[in-house]
Parts: sequence; structure tokens; C-alpha cells
Amino acid sequence: MASRRRTLLKVIVLGDSGVGKTSLMNQYVHKKFSQQYKATIGADFVTKEILVDDRLVTLQIWDTAGQERFQSLGVAFYRGADCCALVYDVNVLRSFDTLDNWHEEFLNQASPSDPKTFPFILLGNKIDVDGGNSRVVSEKKAKEWCASKGNIPYFETSAKEDYNVDAAFLCVAKLALEHDRDQDIYFQNIPEPISETEQSRGCAC
Amino acid sequence: MVPDAGAEDEEKWLAEGIAGLQHNAFYMHRSLDSNNLRDALKFSAQMLSELRTSRLSPHKYYELYMRAFDELRKLEMFFREETKRGSFSVIDLYELVQHAGNILPRLYLLCTVGSVYIKSKEAPAKDVLKDLVEMCRGIQHPVRGLFLRSYLSQISRDKLPDIGSEYEGDADTVVDAVEFVLQNFTEMNKLWVRMQHQGPIREKEKREKERSELRDLVGKNLHVLSQLEGVDLDMYKETVLPRILEQVVNCKDDIAQHYLMDCIIQVFPDEYHLQTLETLLSAFPQLQPTVDIKTVLSQLMDRLSNYAASSAEVLPEFLQVEAFAKLSSAIGKVIEAQVDMPIVGAITLYVSLLTFTLRVHPDRLDYVDQVLGACVKKLSGKAKLEDSKATKQIVALLSAPLEKYNDIVTALKLSNYPRVMDHLDNGTNKVMAVVIIQSIMKNSTCISTADKVEALFELIKGLIKDMDGTPDDELDEEDFKEEQNSVARLIHMLYNDDPEEMLKIICTVRKHILLGGPKRLPFTVPPLVFSSLKLVRRLQGQDGDVIGEEVPATPKKIFQILHQTIEALSLVPSPELALRLYLQCAEAANDCDLEPVAYEFFTQAFILYEEEVADSKAQVTAIHLIIGTLQRMNIFGVENRDTLTHKATGYSAKLLKKPDQCRAVYACSHLFWVDDQDGIKDGERVLLCLKRALRIANAAQQMANVTRGSSGSVTLFIEILNKYLYFFEKGNPQITSSVIQGLIELINTEMQSDNTTSDPSADAFFASTLRYIQFQKQKGGAMGEKYEPIKIN
Repeated sequence: MASRRRTLLKVIVLGDSGVGKTSLMNQYVHKKFSQQYKATIGADFVTKEILVDDRLVTLQIWDTAGQERFQSLGVAFYRGADCCALVYDVNVLRSFDTLDNWHEEFLNQASPSDPKTFPFILLGNKIDVDGGNSRVVSEKKAKEWCASKGNIPYFETSAKEDYNVDAAFLCVAKLALEHDRDQDIYFQNIPEPISETEQSRGCAC
Repeated sequence: MVPDAGAEDEEKWLAEGIAGLQHNAFYMHRSLDSNNLRDALKFSAQMLSELRTSRLSPHKYYELYMRAFDELRKLEMFFREETKRGSFSVIDLYELVQHAGNILPRLYLLCTVGSVYIKSKEAPAKDVLKDLVEMCRGIQHPVRGLFLRSYLSQISRDKLPDIGSEYEGDADTVVDAVEFVLQNFTEMNKLWVRMQHQGPIREKEKREKERSELRDLVGKNLHVLSQLEGVDLDMYKETVLPRILEQVVNCKDDIAQHYLMDCIIQVFPDEYHLQTLETLLSAFPQLQPTVDIKTVLSQLMDRLSNYAASSAEVLPEFLQVEAFAKLSSAIGKVIEAQVDMPIVGAITLYVSLLTFTLRVHPDRLDYVDQVLGACVKKLSGKAKLEDSKATKQIVALLSAPLEKYNDIVTALKLSNYPRVMDHLDNGTNKVMAVVIIQSIMKNSTCISTADKVEALFELIKGLIKDMDGTPDDELDEEDFKEEQNSVARLIHMLYNDDPEEMLKIICTVRKHILLGGPKRLPFTVPPLVFSSLKLVRRLQGQDGDVIGEEVPATPKKIFQILHQTIEALSLVPSPELALRLYLQCAEAANDCDLEPVAYEFFTQAFILYEEEVADSKAQVTAIHLIIGTLQRMNIFGVENRDTLTHKATGYSAKLLKKPDQCRAVYACSHLFWVDDQDGIKDGERVLLCLKRALRIANAAQQMANVTRGSSGSVTLFIEILNKYLYFFEKGNPQITSSVIQGLIELINTEMQSDNTTSDPSADAFFASTLRYIQFQKQKGGAMGEKYEPIKIN
């Protein structure tokens, strides 16, 4: 297939409720930050066009609900992702402990063709809180976790102070681009066409 | 309505749908690559036809939808590039896609082009959006309509004319953006609610499950609104919240109402909720009676509680909007209106309100008491709670002030606190009482007035006595011990420096524990006794009475109280414990120079010994305690002392077993020799005791000979020897070196005799005794001289 089309990279952002997923995205795309917590419902995306290695790509970043009850439709939107960004709050131990669950869940649900090499990235957010004094997860501990998952990249971020946010997403884009290139090589079979009569069911709208 | 289908069938249909979709997508891509717009539209329309299916449940439909969605992104990119390039105009394209045969594919394509249209800025965003949101009315099928409108929402989101957005202009403002989202939301909610009534009643459960899967599509619109920069507090207050609530109330659907209220609370910031509290709360009574309002209200309060806890700066805002009054009133109304609400629901609401109050108004004990009072009101007139969930919540309710204030004294000020406890069943009442005691122990709280003690014991009465007059037979013994031990520990926390107040406290405690019954007294009396004795000790140190003032708290008075208190142990009966306690009191009386009082306590001890202590082992222990205590008495005059020592030695000699007799008798020797300056030093009587002990030891040997054929151990003799040495050193003139020598030889003979059973520990004992003598001899000086005549081999 010719690649005239602009490259579209799909990224899923996952993590516990309140760790800052929406804030990170808002900071990255709109350069805005709000202190007050607003829950996310379902999943939605924002796009941003960025330059990666002198190449313009469109990054489609999916923000997800951290609270389980706001994911009523399921996670069909995981499919076709080129990269998954996991986010935790360095001041909340539980949000770090659940990373294994998010990691596993994503691989189970998205079923990428390359689970062992599928690109993840870890973001340790809210490093600005209380001047770093309420941190309960050390950089060392986080890096160990990253190493145990196949040496995934790690970024310490602050959506509030706009620290390391651009760098993190640039890394996301690069990882996604690499993955996308790899996927292109994998050809899919042309499916058999379905007969005309079977195609139109349901009402006339 | 999705017809009854097995999961397998659905999988099959989904697979077919995906296959069809992929097939057409492939050809669509080919058309894009060759710039064939007509074909691209044709194949994309065919692809989108798969979404016309009625056979899939929402979950499965979503999977199909997402695939279509992904393909449409590529189509959109093509549209964008080609319109930019000038291959065709976006206006023409917008027109062209409306020729698609079926309406659903037509509208998906229209929305897709609409996105490009807005981006091109060839028309105001608001106009395109308005057109699209209205065109979508063409799909009235709930599932298909919801997904279509969701698609519209998704692709338009970054093109809303929000403040600071590139699409904002003179004609386009955030008001238009809000209007668009609200309209889409309203239509989506209508579709969603309509599902409830479509189809046969027997499929209601299935329908509700599908509605549940779809709910986030509706809720997401609220999320979009909350993320709009231009939706500030004013806009939220004036437009957004009223319009949302209008839809929520008017739809009259309980599933929608519950879900959407939950969304509102979660999706908008705390500050907004505070400032619109009245409006928000006023919606609750207008909701369907079947809506589980209490959960939503609880979540609102929890959210606000967390907000209050996050920073002290926000607290004034709570006061300014009179949050407590409003919430309290709203809860009252809800509970009143929902007569069928189970008790656990009401209590849960109060727990949330109490948590809120403790966070936001910790200094307002009247508010806290008010919440407890409302709870009491709800509980009164009903039988004691048996629902374990409700009970758990009440324990949570009562524990919250304890944890917050870390001080039982504050909790004691809450007049409704004991009233709430009264509604607990006995078991839980006790659990709560233990929680209270633990709180006191943990915080080392000192309860310092009789009034507070009274209030406290009222609260923990479940532990102090049998409630309802019936004893609790089911209680595990270990648990009971734990319980009573915690009460005992508590008694030690009751204290005041002022003796008057302390005495009042003691009397209050006494009053309560005497109601405890025979099982509890052995645990509760001792700590009270020792607490009282501590007071006595404090008073004994004071220098005389303050002239002219009445000082009712005197040791004498306290001893009277002690006397009566220990007497209560006869109810159990617990003679050994009582005996010990009498002796403790005697000692204290001795130190207060109260001879008659001390004598009286000894009398009581002896009476118990004579009449109640029957077990021979217990007797041994008791007599040694008596001897030891008596030995330390210096207050007695000759007559009193003689009477008591006579009794002591008499009972010693009457113990059942010879060895016990022997040991008790030689212990009595110390009664006649006190090492103090003014102490009695009656050498003759000491010797009399020791000789008597020797005789008994002899008799014991003979008995052993007769019964076992061999003499018993010589240990007793060695023990007596050691006593001889003690008094010898102290200078008892009756005990001479020759007396000692004689005894040593006696022991030697005994040990070497054939009859004697060998006893390694006796041998070692004797050996070390001799070593000691040798050591003393070698000391030289007066001690060496003393020991010199004693010969050891």
C-alpha cells in the first residue's frame, strides 16, 4: 500500500483516577492547567500534529476514565494503538501498585500482534506537590519497574509546572512511529466479500 | 431492540460486520490512493452500512463502530488534504456526501466533512455545528443514534468555539459551543431514555443492561462541558447547570437521573458545587422516588469533605455558602420523603454528613451533636438494630468524633452520643465501649472529674454491668477477660491532682463497678483499690490539716471506702484476692500511722484465712503473704503485735504438709527481728521459731522413713541453717557459733547416712552455704572473728 496518507499515531493514556491523565493532555495540547479535579467519562481523544525526526505526524491521544464505573462501553478503542502511556501519581502509592494491572489489562484487551515488544512508556506525575516532600515512590523504584517490563522509558513530570510534558509526549510519538512502521510491514489478507443480500439488514435508515 | 441471541450468534454477526467493513475499507483506500473521490465515497458509504445493523449489543456495536471510526480518520485526512490542494471545495463536498443512499452512512460522512469544513474556516463553526446536530435527528433508533451523535461529539470537540480557541470569533463564542453540546446531550438523553420503553416487558432486564453499557456516551457530554475553558462559574450557574438539571428532572427516568446526577457531581469542580449547592440540592426532591438519592448525596458530601481537607483556604467558602445547613436540610428532606428507605441508608447519609462536618466545622460541636441528634430521631421508636450493615455504620458514626478529636472528653460533651449508643444491640454496644476505651488508652487521655467519669461510665455501661438484667452467657471467656481488663486499664486513667476531686472520682467508679456482678468484680476491684491507695499515699505525705478548712478527703475515710469495696469480693467469692487487698491496705494504714485501721485489716485477712481459704496450696501462699506484711508493720503496740504474731505462727504450724509447716514457721522468725533502728529484736523468740522448725524438719524425716523406707531430703535443714546464719550475723545473742556448729554436724551426719536419698541440689546448696561461711571467715575484721570458731571440713 502506498503511504500517501499522513501518518496517524494512536496513543492510549491509562492510569488510576486522579493521577493527572487529563491534565497532562491539556497541558500538552492546550498549554492549560486547572487545579480542581474533574472526572473523565468514557474515552475521548485529542489530536496534535508534531514534528518527529523532520516528519510531520498526527498524534491521536486517547484520554481514558480512571474510575472504572465510567468505562461502561468497554475498551474497544484500545485496538490499533501504537503506544500506551501509563501514568501514576508519585505521591500516591496505590496508583503505582496498580500499574501492573493497567499494563496487563491493556495487553489483554488490545491484543497487539507483538505483546512482548509493544511500546509502553511510564509517566510519574505530580512531582511538584509539596516541593517533592510527599513523594512515596522513588525514581529508583519506578525505574526498576520499568526495567522489569522490558526497559520501558520513564519520565518524571508535572502537568502543573509543565515540566517534562513535551519531552514525554515526543518520546511517545517516536515510540509510536517506530511501532507503526513495524506494523506496516505486516500485511493483512484481503477479506472475502460478503454477498449483497446479506449486507442490508435492519431498518431503512 | 436486539433480538434474543446467544453470545455465539453475536460473535458471528460481529465478525461478519467487521469483514464487510474491512472489505470496503480496502477498496476505499485504493480509491484514496488513486484520488478517486467518487469511488471513495461509494466504498466508504458501503463500509458505513455495516453500522446500520440492529443485531449487536452496545458492547459489540462499539467494536464495529471503532473500526469504522479509525477508517473515517483516514478519509478525513484525504478530504482535508484535497480541499487544501484545491481538488474540490469543502462546500461541494458537504453537498456531495448527502447523496449517499442510506441516511446513516450519509450522516457519518456529513459529520466527517463537517469537521473538515469547520477546520477550513470557510463557515462559522457554530453554523456547521448547528446544522449537524439537527441533521442527526434523522436517526431515531436509540443505539445507532447514540453512536452517531457520539461520533459528532468526538470529532467536533477540538473545533468548538471555546474561549481562546482558533474557532472563536465575533459570531462564534463559547455560548454557541455550550448550546451545541447541550443540544446534543439533550437529544442523546432522549434516545437513551426511550430505550427503556421499547420492547416487551420480559426483556426489561436485558434492556437495562444495554442502557447501562451506553450510559457513558450520554455522560461524556457533561465531561465536554466541564472541560470548556469558557464554562466559568457564572456560565455554569446561569446556563449549564440549570439546563442539565432541567433535562434530568424532565426525563422522569430513574436510571438516567441517578447516573446523570452522579456525573454532574464527579465531572464539575468542587468549587462550582459549593456555589450552586442550593440549586443542586433542590433537584433531588424532584427526582423519581425510586432513584437512590442517598448514594448520590453521600458522594457529593464525600467529595466536598475531601475538598475541605485538601486545603484550609477553602474552608471560609463553606461557611459563606452555609454548606452545612443546606446539606443537613436536604438530607432531612430526602429521608422524610423516602419512607421506604432502609435504616442503613439513612445512617450512611448521616455518616457522610458527619464526616463532612468534622472536616469543615470541627470546632462546631453543636453541628456534630445535631447530626447525631438527627440520627437518634431516625432510630427512636424502633427496636434495637439488628441489621449488621446498619450497625457497622453506627459504629463508624460514633468512631468518627473519637478519631477526629483524639479526646474522649470532647465526645463526652455531645449530648446525643450516649443516646445513639442506646440504640445499639448489646453486642455492638460493647464493641463501641471497647473502641472508646482504646481511644482513651491510645491518646493517654486523662479523665479528670467525677462528672466526666460519670458520663464516661454511662457510655461504657455495656461493659460495666449486664444490660437488660440478663447475663451474657454466650460471651467467650477470653473475650470477656479482654473486655474487663480494658475496663481495669481504664480505671487507672481516671485521675486528678486535687484529692477532693480524686475521691469523688473513686466514689463514682465504685458506684458503677459494684453493679458489675460476681464475674466482673475480680477485674474491676483491684485497680480501684490501688488507685485509692495511691491517693492515700499522696495524702500521707501532706503536712497535717489545713487549719480552718474542712478536709474531707482523709486516709481514714478512704480506708473505710476500701474496706467496703473489698468486702464486695465476698459476693464472687474471691477470698484470696480479698486477702491480698486487705494486706495492701494494712500496709498503707501502717504508713499513715493508723494502728486501729491496720489492725482491722489484718483481722479481716485472718478471718478470710480461717474461714475461706481451704485449699492447702492457697493457704501456704496466704500465710507467707501475711507473715511478710506483718513483718513490715511498725505501728503495732505490744499487745496487738503479739496477738497477730501468735496467730501467724499458730497457723504456720498447722499447715497440712510438714515441709510447708517448717518453712512457714522459720519464716515467722523474722516477725521477731526487724532490722530497723526501732525494730523489735527478740532473740529468744527467734530461736524458739528456728528450733521449732528444726523439730518439724526432724518429724518430716521420720515420716519419710516410715512411709518410703528412706529419709527425705536434708534440704529443710540446710534452709534452717541459712536462717541461723542470717540471725547469727545480725547479732542475735541466742545464736552462737556452737549452735551453728552443731547444726552443720547434724546435716553432715544426715547426708552421709545410708538412709538418705541423694539429692544433688541439696548437696550443692550445702556446699555453697559452707563456701559462704568460709568466705565470711576470710573476711577478717569483726565478721571474721565471729565466724572464726566455726569449723568446716
